[in-house]
Amino acid sequence: MPIPEERPIRLPAPAPPDRRRFLTVLSQAFLALWGLGAAAVVGAYLKAPEKRDAERTVNAGLLADYRVGEGRLVRHGITPFYVVRLDATRVLALSAVCTHVRCILGYDPARRTLVCPCHDGRFDLSGNVLSGPPSRPLPGYPVSVRAGEIFVQV
Amino acid sequence: MNGPGRQDPPARQGWVDWLEQRVNLSEIFSFLTHFGLVYTPVDTRKPVREVLHDVAAEPVPRYAHGARALGLLAAILFGLQIVTGVLLAYYYRPTPEAAFESTRTIVRDLPGGWFIHQMHAWGSWLLVAVIVLRLLRLFWEGLYRAPREVLWWCAVAMTWVVIQSDFTGRLLTWDSHTYWGTVRGLEVVWAIPIAGPVLAFLLGGRTVNEDVLIRFYVLHLMVLPVFYAGFLYLTFATLRRVGLSRPEAARDQGTIHYREHVYSMTMLTVGLFAVLVTLATLLPFRFHAAADPYATPGGVRPPWYMLAPYALLQHLPVPAWLSGLGLLAAAIAVLLLPLWLRGDDTPGRRRRLRLAGVAVLAVWLALSVLGALLERR
Repeated sequence: MPIPEERPIRLPAPAPPDRRRFLTVLSQAFLALWGLGAAAVVGAYLKAPEKRDAERTVNAGLLADYRVGEGRLVRHGITPFYVVRLDATRVLALSAVCTHVRCILGYDPARRTLVCPCHDGRFDLSGNVLSGPPSRPLPGYPVSVRAGEIFVQV
Repeated sequence: MNGPGRQDPPARQGWVDWLEQRVNLSEIFSFLTHFGLVYTPVDTRKPVREVLHDVAAEPVPRYAHGARALGLLAAILFGLQIVTGVLLAYYYRPTPEAAFESTRTIVRDLPGGWFIHQMHAWGSWLLVAVIVLRLLRLFWEGLYRAPREVLWWCAVAMTWVVIQSDFTGRLLTWDSHTYWGTVRGLEVVWAIPIAGPVLAFLLGGRTVNEDVLIRFYVLHLMVLPVFYAGFLYLTFATLRRVGLSRPEAARDQGTIHYREHVYSMTMLTVGLFAVLVTLATLLPFRFHAAADPYATPGGVRPPWYMLAPYALLQHLPVPAWLSGLGLLAAAIAVLLLPLWLRGDDTPGRRRRLRLAGVAVLAVWLALSVLGALLERR
């Protein structure tokens, strides 16, 4: 295939350096603004809607249903917790999410400890770390018993 | 290039000639072979028959042998992952409610479903192994030096992409063990300063829920394969510019006819499939139960390539953020290796570098063994 003879293209006379630099900076600034705007729009879209637990007060069932020393996992949103009946009147609520890598703890009623199945971290019922890799204690939640029903403030 | 000099083909016009007058077939051939098969530059101004002839006539180094076949194995495995992955995607549904059910349908109810699933799962682990071994081989032979830096960067980037593909794919079954493996892996990622929160934002939050599942799904099916294909293309584009390997290595090995090369590639493919089918049938990946975000099972194993950081996290009181930061720093350091190791390439220096590499590898392997033993306890 014959390649057509190229004719020299006449360019306009170069702009003075000051003006050229000003225009370059201006167009770059515009492009950067466009980029920022696009990033903001895409970022706002990408932000996953936050899943908040709607209820702040959770009904954990009747006190009479719990045996003394029994602990039950309450499957509440992203903050599951254990409700443990200590004796005739006292009940406590303790987060069930290990502070190490967020595994769900198991409850050992014999020793009254919470045990992590992932790395064998152990917590007592006050939330203190007994052994294992977790560095922070477990958060507890306030509990109230009204008319025989247990309510936990998450 | 010793193509036939004859200009006039026989008068009978086939469909190739018909097409040739309408599209540039050589250009298409060149594009397609940027993803495999042809390592030498292709003259796209020639008609396609002549190009094919040129390619077949070009002697190639004895390539499909030993450690040099790893790139080829990776390309074959990538093709297998695409085929089996598309087949799996026809029935898979990416929601927490349906993911485990639909995977079980594929594996238990569909004819041959278990085989496709196992081939995909084992193919993924083999791909990780092959691509890591290929990286080691490139390091051993010093193939990150000028002008091969881009090849090295592609190899490192492909390793990242493959590991991320494996990581995202494992969550998709929503099996209790893979689910909690992902939760634990992500906790380390999210603890990294600065990069962690950015990644958590991009992946849809810190809790592994339906948002995270569908983002993993999209990454696994679309984003990561496209990136992999892009790096594959760049690899071959670089190969065509800088050549197959170092001249002294090529001289040692001698050259062979391209057809012989195709024959060895075929044999390699057959061997690879023999291994894969054996693994998929005799050592299938097991299912446990559908993941329950409120119950962590015991004995969750990290994937084999993550056993070393796992052992480190278990044995030393290393905070998760430091461990994650270490992994990230290592990944970036490997990427920047060619810039760091510029300069003279004396045998003594090369020996020292190899020794350092072997030492790092030995530490990694020892930690991995430690991690594997931990799991068994």
